[in-house]
Amino acid sequence: MKPWWQRLVGTRLATATVADVRPPTLGRTLQPEQVLRPVRPAFIWATLVGAFLLNLLPWGRAIWVPDFFALTLVFWNVHQPRKVGMGIAFAFGLMMDVHNGALFGEHALAYTLLSYGAITLHRRILWLPVTSQTIYVFGLLLVAQLASAAVRLWVGGASPGWWIGLLSSALGAAIWPFLHLGLLAPQRRPAKRDDTRPL
Amino acid sequence: MEHGPPPLFNQGVSARARLAFFSLVAAALIIVDAQVNALDAIRNGVEILLYPVQRVLLWPRDVAVDFASYFTTIGGLSEENTRLRMAAIEQAQRAQAAAQLQLENEQLRKLAGLRERLDAPGQVVVALYESRDPFSHKIVIDRGSKEGMRAGGPVLDETGVVGQITRVFPMTSEVTLITDKEQSLPVQIVRNGLHAVAFGGSEPSTLELRFLPANADIENGDSVVTSGLDGVYPPGMAVATVTRIDRDVKDQFARVVLKPVAGMSKSRMLLVLLVEPPPLAPPTETGRGNTSGNLRGDHAVAKGVRR
Repeated sequence: MKPWWQRLVGTRLATATVADVRPPTLGRTLQPEQVLRPVRPAFIWATLVGAFLLNLLPWGRAIWVPDFFALTLVFWNVHQPRKVGMGIAFAFGLMMDVHNGALFGEHALAYTLLSYGAITLHRRILWLPVTSQTIYVFGLLLVAQLASAAVRLWVGGASPGWWIGLLSSALGAAIWPFLHLGLLAPQRRPAKRDDTRPL
Repeated sequence: MEHGPPPLFNQGVSARARLAFFSLVAAALIIVDAQVNALDAIRNGVEILLYPVQRVLLWPRDVAVDFASYFTTIGGLSEENTRLRMAAIEQAQRAQAAAQLQLENEQLRKLAGLRERLDAPGQVVVALYESRDPFSHKIVIDRGSKEGMRAGGPVLDETGVVGQITRVFPMTSEVTLITDKEQSLPVQIVRNGLHAVAFGGSEPSTLELRFLPANADIENGDSVVTSGLDGVYPPGMAVATVTRIDRDVKDQFARVVLKPVAGMSKSRMLLVLLVEPPPLAPPTETGRGNTSGNLRGDHAVAKGVRR
């Protein structure tokens, strides 16, 4: 007869092994993943420039409008971290500064930080389903905006109502699932089109 | 398929090193740009590249605005016509009176041996867009250094003072509105001639009068005009009306909130006065001595008194 504690440990171990044998049920991660076609660099550039042009539209004082370029940048940083890096983020940031009449380097700094965050987190973000990715994207956009805000507070003091701009991060994160659908669509295309697969 | 074989050893510069490099460059640019105007050449270059794109992107909005105005009703037009005609009659009367007053003024000034006021020529410009910067109130106009715009020039609309040109590009210029927090201008209250300095307000699209004693003679609804002490804005331009006065017993100064009179109309036409820039202020700690309105509070006050 074994002592009581050994018996206890033994049964514990047994139950643990039985539980481990069961396959993990982690929701959507076990669903089949589609193998994507390689992305065309021209498409990346076209979407980045297009998003930048969207930012250049005369939005006026509507500072809650999401930063389309930041969002597209995060998308490509997450999906193609070796093709879109911090240099591109920095260069577009400088142009954004000139357009907005902001301090030279303010958006550049924000976009660089954003890009770094997205590149560092890209494996973790890709592992999650799209709806959960939204939370990460919101965090990244918020950090970038706060960095820009910190620069302004440091140099010149706050302007009234600047925090309304933080709403643009939330709106940006809200359109992330749609962006995900749209920008991945060309890579989901089948090699040969037929009637059953129209896209 | 999607991922090519990764280069095993040659991964390039690490992400952290890149982050450090680009953030340092950005921080250096920010510091330099905040202190001196040394980066204007680069800025001008980027602006020249961006300018055609910006103009093309303004086109859809202009088309939409034109389309909307095409469908104005005859009733609306005739109403506007009547209103404009009445305004014209009113102004004709005032203009005649003004001509007479000017003559009288000239004679009096000659008698008193004062300098004559110079009339600044103006140029009509069109506002292109408002910058989407939550931290400043700026608009961009369609004339630049090629058309003789200069930093410091005051900008008006048909009702009053709008702001001041703070940065000039070859084709466009940036105008900082008087409601911007960094902007200040010397003003005068019409009713009693009290001098004060108006700053951009701490509430959105308002102005504030600072450094007025708590017992200053100000009432709600007082209209405030430029005093012309800074040599930038011509005297007597309408700026704002007083909307609220907080006379806190604890506080030494009264808190006066103003509502700007300009910018109420939908028209995007503005008038830039091509005044000679005032002589450079003595170098200040902020290093921004070239645009008088852009100075921080104390310097602006000191300047106003000195002149």
